[in-house]
Amino acid sequence: MSGTQPMNQPTRPGRVLSITPALPTVRAACHGPVGEGAGAGAPIIALAGAPNVGKSTLFNALTGLRATTGNWPGTTVDVGRGVWRFQPDGKVCTCAECSGDCAANRVSEFTLIDLPGAYSLDPLSPDEELTRTLLVDAPVGERPDAVVVVADAAHLARSLYLVAQLRETTHRVVVALTMNDVAAKAGIDLDTYALSAELGCPVVAIDPRRRQGLDTLTRTVREALPTPLPPPRSLAVPAGSEGLDPLARDDERFTWVEAAAAAGATASGADRVSTSDRIDRVATHPVAGPLLFLAVMWVVFQITTTVAAPLQDALDGFFSGPVSDAVRGLLGMVGLGGGWVEGLLVDGLIAGVGMLLTFVPLMALMFVLLALLEDSGYMARAAVVTDRLMRTIGLPGKAFLPLVVGFGCNVPAIAATRILGNARQRILVALLVPFTSCTARLTVYVMLGTIFFGAAAGTAVFVMYLASILAVIGVGLLLRKTLWRTMGTEPLVLDLPPYQVPTARLTAAVAWGRLQGFLRTASGIIVVTVCAVWLLQSLPARPGHGFGEVPVQDSAYGVAAQTIAPVFEPAGFGQWQTASALVVGFVAKEAVISSWAQTYAVEEPEEGASDLGDFGTQVRAAFEESSGGHPLPAVWAFLWFLMAYTPCVATLAAQKREVGWRWTVFGVAIGLAVAWLGAVAIFQIGSLIW
Amino acid sequence: MSGPLSAVLGAFADGAHSLADVSARTGLPSDVVQASVDHLVRLGRLEARELAMGCPSSGCGSCASASADGGPGCGASGPDAGRRGPVLVALTLRR
Repeated sequence: MSGTQPMNQPTRPGRVLSITPALPTVRAACHGPVGEGAGAGAPIIALAGAPNVGKSTLFNALTGLRATTGNWPGTTVDVGRGVWRFQPDGKVCTCAECSGDCAANRVSEFTLIDLPGAYSLDPLSPDEELTRTLLVDAPVGERPDAVVVVADAAHLARSLYLVAQLRETTHRVVVALTMNDVAAKAGIDLDTYALSAELGCPVVAIDPRRRQGLDTLTRTVREALPTPLPPPRSLAVPAGSEGLDPLARDDERFTWVEAAAAAGATASGADRVSTSDRIDRVATHPVAGPLLFLAVMWVVFQITTTVAAPLQDALDGFFSGPVSDAVRGLLGMVGLGGGWVEGLLVDGLIAGVGMLLTFVPLMALMFVLLALLEDSGYMARAAVVTDRLMRTIGLPGKAFLPLVVGFGCNVPAIAATRILGNARQRILVALLVPFTSCTARLTVYVMLGTIFFGAAAGTAVFVMYLASILAVIGVGLLLRKTLWRTMGTEPLVLDLPPYQVPTARLTAAVAWGRLQGFLRTASGIIVVTVCAVWLLQSLPARPGHGFGEVPVQDSAYGVAAQTIAPVFEPAGFGQWQTASALVVGFVAKEAVISSWAQTYAVEEPEEGASDLGDFGTQVRAAFEESSGGHPLPAVWAFLWFLMAYTPCVATLAAQKREVGWRWTVFGVAIGLAVAWLGAVAIFQIGSLIW
Repeated sequence: MSGPLSAVLGAFADGAHSLADVSARTGLPSDVVQASVDHLVRLGRLEARELAMGCPSSGCGSCASASADGGPGCGASGPDAGRRGPVLVALTLRR
């Protein structure tokens, strides 16, 4: 299939050039390091086109083994050079077929140069610079005899801009359309005759991988060579605008490209409704989109908590049973049993780190599920939903990015606020990021969810993520209506990739990377805080006890917690053990469970509660007692407080770096206020119901 | 004159959320819209920023999203440069 513009003009004689121009040209390097071309006087044909359109495949198909690749003289840009041999009927020669007897087969030849990939002749890279130099900056007599522009038929408009620019020169241009099979699959039906008429140059459909269309291309180029240099296409831009406004100039080219593409593509399959489009009608719908997102996240949390629960229990039993017993036994054998060493190792490190490790199956499963969602392309749709939500409440569209990051970890999310150009926007979003529920908080949600809600733990976790989103919206609206009534907007567009079947390798790699990171970060924090908490719990704050022998309620840790605990009484969790977990959580949420477990582990066991396996029983009893018989509202209040107050000191450091210490202090105050007021409201209202 | 590039820029400025939205607002084929966006990025009129979902191995490992180009997230490379992901295009209008 080909369509050619007849150019009935006299044959141009061959030329002999003897000058060595200052600029590199295709002729000056005929016998240079790039390699040998055809014999002297053979026409020089240049292959041009954007990267990844099949240009090099075509070059190899046309030149076979008669090609070399090397740096163009004076540059570091790779350029291929070879001999394009063909028989009188245009059949491209492979020496294997005719035993290299060119004379007997009346073989003709061109020198073929594979120019570096270039989207346009306005260079942005050394590759494009060389292409421009050889095609535009070189004197007319030093240019190639013809340029074959390799264009991707599946993305015609993208490929034709280069053609538009070349048509503004006096080059003989032939367009070789590749990827026709891809275009056909996409429903694009190309009419090369119509396209040729619009472009004003021959167009040939080829498939270099299957060596289809090469003979037609050869004949087309051969027929074009004798024609005179075509007159350049004149730009239809207002007088004087050329050189003044590149946009007007380029706009004119794109108008030309659009007209050519419209004429050449008789059926625009690119705009057919694909499966991805059909799914997106729901996934990005203003109402159905958010609902679907919530449903998907609920399923994720439900699967996570349900499937991981037995593994978590098994690991819990393993660390509180055999591991702790073995260490106690070993310490007893070396005479360190019952002392502070056993307290530090068994009640501190094993209780704390062991508790963290019980969450490994849960975190691994969740990371796998999230990676599957990301790799399938769904998370991109979730980003659109979030972006729309941000705009609806008057926040800059780009704010969704740090906030999405915040659901993983608040520290990089604060750094991500840098993408916001406006300082006021940066401050606002940096203040909102701490309300996004990071993975460290997830462990506490899961633990309390399992203790108090059993099989509905997944739903409880889901509710906490909803609460986190509501906190972001609520505080965002509050600040927008008070401190930042005027705020610039920045347009933003998300380009959605098509849905795809997730790959196991990538999913596993992403999930493993995240799990490693979580364990690396959490284990470091936990070891340090466990040691600090152990030290504070070993220091007597009331007389009558020695170091390491003090009941925890009389230790520095216990006394400090008892001082703070009354603050939380209106919220229903005024027990000092619970309050102490929140104090540790100010340092890092990863350490909440370990220090909490540590507190109960070193306390005198309650009746029927003898080890870490009864941690849930003790927590339940604590909430029952502190809430006056309304443990469920108290737990929700506690979870709200945990979600809303300062995430960790690392986040504060990041905030100080990004927005200064004044806004950081303001952020801490806002967080504590929202957390406490919300917790009190939840408990006071909830205790009337439950 | 008002061609595809101006029309695409106009659609962005008017609040288009996606390339499909730009296509719907301008009446341009999606292929032309994509080519126009690519060209506007080359011109510096648009900034394209890749959202490489997933935490890189060199990052903290905890974030839900990191950038392959050093922007959002912790700034390290994504887990696989070849993977497909959404592309965030932030419009920078020339004043």
